Amino acid sequence: MDPKKPSPNNEPILREHSYDGIQEYDQKLPNWWLFTLYIAIVYFVIYWLCYYQLGIGSSDTLVIDKAMAEMQTARDKQMESINDEQLWALSRDPAAVEAGKATFMTPGMCVTCHGPDLTGMLSGAKLPGLPLSDQEWKHGGKPTEIFKIVRKGSPDITKGMAAWELVLGMKRVSEVVAFVLSHHKEGEPITRAADSPPATPGAATTAPAATTPGTAPAAAAAAPAAAPAVSPPPASK
Amino acid sequence: MTSTAASKVPIEFNDKVVRQFMLASIIFGVVAMLAGVFIASQLNFHQLNLAEWLTFGRLRPLHTNAAIFAFVGNMMFAGIYYSTQRLCKCRMGNDTLSSIHFWGWQLIIVAAAITLPLGLSRGKEYAELIWPINIAVAVIWVVFAVNFFLTLHKRNEPSLYVALWFYIATIVTVAMLYIVNHLSIPTSWTHSYGIFGGVQDGLVQWWYGHNAVAFFLTTPILGIMYYFLPKAAERPVYSYRLSIVHFWSLVFLYIWAGPHHLLHTALPKWLQMLGMFFSLMLWAPSWGGMLNGLLTLRGAWDKLRTDPVIKFFIAGVTFYGMSTFEGPLLSIRAVNSLSHYSDWTIGHVHSGALGWNGFMAAGMFYWLAPRLWGTKLYSISMANFHFWIGTLGILLYVVAMWISGVMQGLMLNQVTADGLAVKNTFLDTLQAIRPLMGLRIIGGGMFLLGWIVMCVNLWKTIRSGKPVNEVREVALLQRGGTDTMGMKETFFNDPTACTFGAMLLVFGWIFLPPGADIASLICAIIFGFMAVRRFQKTSHTWALWYESLLHNYLPFTVLTFVAVVIGGLIQIIPTVTVNSAKNVEDRIQKLYEPLELAGRDIYVSEGCYNCHSQMIRTLVPDVMRYGDYSRLGESIYDHPFQWGSKRTGPDLAREGGQRPDSWHYEHLMDPRSMSPMSNMPPYAHLNTKPFDQKTLPRKIAVMRQLGVPYPPMDATEIKMKALEQGVKIATELKKSNIVVRPDSEMVAVIAYLQKLGQFEQPAVEDALSKKGQGVPFPLSPIIPDDGRRANGAQ
Repeated sequence: MDPKKPSPNNEPILREHSYDGIQEYDQKLPNWWLFTLYIAIVYFVIYWLCYYQLGIGSSDTLVIDKAMAEMQTARDKQMESINDEQLWALSRDPAAVEAGKATFMTPGMCVTCHGPDLTGMLSGAKLPGLPLSDQEWKHGGKPTEIFKIVRKGSPDITKGMAAWELVLGMKRVSEVVAFVLSHHKEGEPITRAADSPPATPGAATTAPAATTPGTAPAAAAAAPAAAPAVSPPPASK
Repeated sequence: MTSTAASKVPIEFNDKVVRQFMLASIIFGVVAMLAGVFIASQLNFHQLNLAEWLTFGRLRPLHTNAAIFAFVGNMMFAGIYYSTQRLCKCRMGNDTLSSIHFWGWQLIIVAAAITLPLGLSRGKEYAELIWPINIAVAVIWVVFAVNFFLTLHKRNEPSLYVALWFYIATIVTVAMLYIVNHLSIPTSWTHSYGIFGGVQDGLVQWWYGHNAVAFFLTTPILGIMYYFLPKAAERPVYSYRLSIVHFWSLVFLYIWAGPHHLLHTALPKWLQMLGMFFSLMLWAPSWGGMLNGLLTLRGAWDKLRTDPVIKFFIAGVTFYGMSTFEGPLLSIRAVNSLSHYSDWTIGHVHSGALGWNGFMAAGMFYWLAPRLWGTKLYSISMANFHFWIGTLGILLYVVAMWISGVMQGLMLNQVTADGLAVKNTFLDTLQAIRPLMGLRIIGGGMFLLGWIVMCVNLWKTIRSGKPVNEVREVALLQRGGTDTMGMKETFFNDPTACTFGAMLLVFGWIFLPPGADIASLICAIIFGFMAVRRFQKTSHTWALWYESLLHNYLPFTVLTFVAVVIGGLIQIIPTVTVNSAKNVEDRIQKLYEPLELAGRDIYVSEGCYNCHSQMIRTLVPDVMRYGDYSRLGESIYDHPFQWGSKRTGPDLAREGGQRPDSWHYEHLMDPRSMSPMSNMPPYAHLNTKPFDQKTLPRKIAVMRQLGVPYPPMDATEIKMKALEQGVKIATELKKSNIVVRPDSEMVAVIAYLQKLGQFEQPAVEDALSKKGQGVPFPLSPIIPDDGRRANGAQ
């Protein structure tokens, strides 16, 4: 809106009128200032044209869906290498156990509910978590079963343990499991708790489906039923 | 104008009300800043959440409302009442209205100060006050408007000075924003549900919220700048032409920028894009104001050394320039993905609030006090001390928040080596920014100290003088060519025709179906060129038309209103009217059971949204940390929406079902028992109070009125349902040796938290499959996102 009126001698025009003693010059608009406005407008038009009329670029949901799908594939691949023997082996690796202990003992993580000595007790008081130092396992005591509980949480999270996979990542989950297993011996007797959910023997084997193919379908059927309408992998924070 | 050297009459200005507003602003400034320093300290020292009514969640709204409405509100009224009388050469319209305005406004502030700590809140930022107070605000604002326009009506100065343009824009726009965003249906004397829910509420809230900044904290202060800065500098304003261009572009563009508070959320993308681009376009108009302020000082820079008033004004305008540069920057989607929900936003708003509002207020008060009390400023060196400690305080505050925001943002985005898990827990990032939150307390404290020094200085000044009401000999206006413009002259002329024509074509480009949109854009460009040519040829008549518009306050007001209303209409109407099947994407949230609804209302009234968002953005780090990104349908029944704007704690959109009830119980009783080093206030008081059963049936009835599909239930049924669910939760907690009353607020809140994130996949009515067929008229408008889908290109 520049009137392009050439002022005779580049003197700024002082408008006659005075408002309560305030006068106004009528300087031309600074060019650089006008350009910032013009550039912003042109940028808007071009960007909108490209995105909406020419269909250039992906929508946000497409981008995120693709990224998450790729991550899921990578996770599935990681899972293939996990089995009971491998986890027992890890539990005898001091470096892995030490790393697992560090994660376990981090305030706000495992230690909060299971206690620093894994007994589920803290100075005589019962904590929310179950003891991990005895041989009774509510959801199964095989390494892969423990691994699954740490990853996915208990079948009904509102009544048990939270899911840690997305918080810790697969590596730290296996280290934590190694740390827990380091309190146990391979082949020791495993008892099931009185209130163990009946479906667990099947469900527990989901992780390495290849090891016990016979029970896999049951697990697959149980999984969706357990978490009906809660969205896919919600992590803890 | 037939001005035949009219007789001069003495006119006494109403300076009493100016003094009142000024003192109120100074006092409430102390209150607002004290509250700010206190809640900032609470973030680092959770022990300061001393009692239920002193928790961060309840006091933060008190701080923001006090700063905006009590401090800046009163300051704005002082400045407007002082300058309007002088620019109109007449006393304020009506003395009674002036008094009602002053006392009414203070009563509202007192009511707010009582209700907010009591936990009475609507749960929307800067719109927390409950509905009876909302009505009072609207009434008092109308009183102010009537008083102001009466003054314009009887003015003795034919032409409207630029300061008055900004005051007019303020008055009409704030009225519009406030009323629309506060529309609600009461469920009791202290509670109501807003008529908008979910995404609609989000859009309306930030249309309001962002423009509260624009039209409550910016335009009135720009008006004040245009009066007091040239007065203090005793120099002419830099450019009248710049005033025109930046005023009209500012008021038109600002309204559109609201959606930049909702980038990457479930808000439809076309709205996000409009929010971002209008924010970028807004940069120049904002800087127009800064330039006109700074360049007015050309030839008087020496005053910067000697006059504290000029110091404050210049620093204030500079901070305005800084934060209006930062604003567009933060609304770029890529930048926003890092900065949003972080302290960066807090730093941004404080460089505006402390730097621009705080310093403009201080400068104005130092200028006004000697004049209103007929004396000299008590101490220039104290004012200088105020200036320097205030400036250092702001810089410390803002820099600390920049670092904190960027650091926390980067930490939250870090992933483990395999890229499949987030590296830091939320608590880790909180610990990292604690020192910076500490620096903020110091910075804010320094600003407060400076303010208190000003209080002392002004108190001494006032004590040394006596209240003076200025009396001036004024030539009465002979009303010849003033206020005579009709509708035809207002709308049917080149400037308005060109503007509206171009605008219509641009909207056609945005909303018309493929093919017609491009045609419309081409027409818009051609039309634009023609308009510029026409302007070059006939600019003289354009200028004359504008000058005559300045002699007519009603047409000016109407055009201003038209300019500010367009953006809101275009953004809000499609979102409100679009059919719900399109609105929900593929998911629809499950209805809250009565107990969960009661719990939600407690969540809202405790102000949990001040620290917890419920919106997982379409960003990889967000999805990795909190779960699948939020869909529109998942908050469609939320009155009010609780998407949040700041994450001092983690997002809660999918909190439901992730932890045992007992965890929530322990965490609410003492957050640090479950999350060591957390800074959340304890909510043990939820355990001692029963939830509100009495109003629950009325609440559900109102929900039904608002279109939430509750089945018909009678009052006993609702209460029974709530209690049954309470008993269930209490029984479950009993297993963990926790004893709670099944009718306690605790149980209700746990029920609500466990419900968060539950949805069902609707049997989508064939709405989606129907799309594309039976379009009634080839050029009927479509939502740009749908147009893109129709293109087949995603």
